[in-house]
Amino acid sequence: MPDNWAFVLAAYGLAVVVLVTYWRFLVRREHELQDAGVMRQQLRHEPDASAPHATQRGPLP
Amino acid sequence: MKRLLGFLTVLGLAAGLVMGFGVAPREATQGNVQRIMYLHVPSVWVGYLAFVVVLVASIVYLARRSEAADRLAHASAEVGVLFTGLTIATGSIWGKPTWGTWWTWDARLTSVSILFVMYLGYLLLRGMIDDRERGARFAAVLGIVAAFNIPLVHFSVLWWRTLHQPPTLMAPGPAPVPGIIKAALYVNFVAFTLLYGYFLTRRVRVLRLEAEAEA
Repeated sequence: MPDNWAFVLAAYGLAVVVLVTYWRFLVRREHELQDAGVMRQQLRHEPDASAPHATQRGPLP
Repeated sequence: MKRLLGFLTVLGLAAGLVMGFGVAPREATQGNVQRIMYLHVPSVWVGYLAFVVVLVASIVYLARRSEAADRLAHASAEVGVLFTGLTIATGSIWGKPTWGTWWTWDARLTSVSILFVMYLGYLLLRGMIDDRERGARFAAVLGIVAAFNIPLVHFSVLWWRTLHQPPTLMAPGPAPVPGIIKAALYVNFVAFTLLYGYFLTRRVRVLRLEAEAEA
């Protein structure tokens, strides 16, 4: 029986591509969501921080 | 914890490659193409494992309405589909030089394809329903029903006359392969189980972050 190394290489190559692509998707998505979470937290705190400025400005004409 | 699991997974996969290509001998009948089995067989094992986890998590979800169980089922189904797809693809690549065809409507190949399509449908169902709770409930029911296909896939080679060979390791009686090939398969089983655990942990975390972002 011939060794058919090309088929072995194709199978392992495909597995590497699929698994690495999925791993990269998970890592990228996790970072995106973490960054979005940090931004949301900052936005939540922002109104408190800007409150003194708002009162200093006084009523609009 | 995540880093440790990642490290153990890389270590396991490296050991699996060494066992599959360095330690295990060239198979006498099939030649080196048999080395695809160190990828194909652990992949189907992870597929089974992932779908059993979907079954258990779906039952827990329906009983307790636990969002954590729903996320576990969702993540496990996704990873299971990934590995089942890999099983079908690597089996097809192995089949061409061994059987002389990429595909045949054999009982094992057909039943595993149905399993793959059912869990793909499970993921599509989740994506199609906007109401989160309703989607989770429907998916849980499908996750339980689809699991009945797992024994059908596994025993199809014993129940029907097929081109696919009977189970090598998970069969009654001693395995009909030399010890060193069995050892290489077991190392890859462990490595792929670790990889499943690593992917599952990360996917569950992503789903939790997505739920927090939507809240």
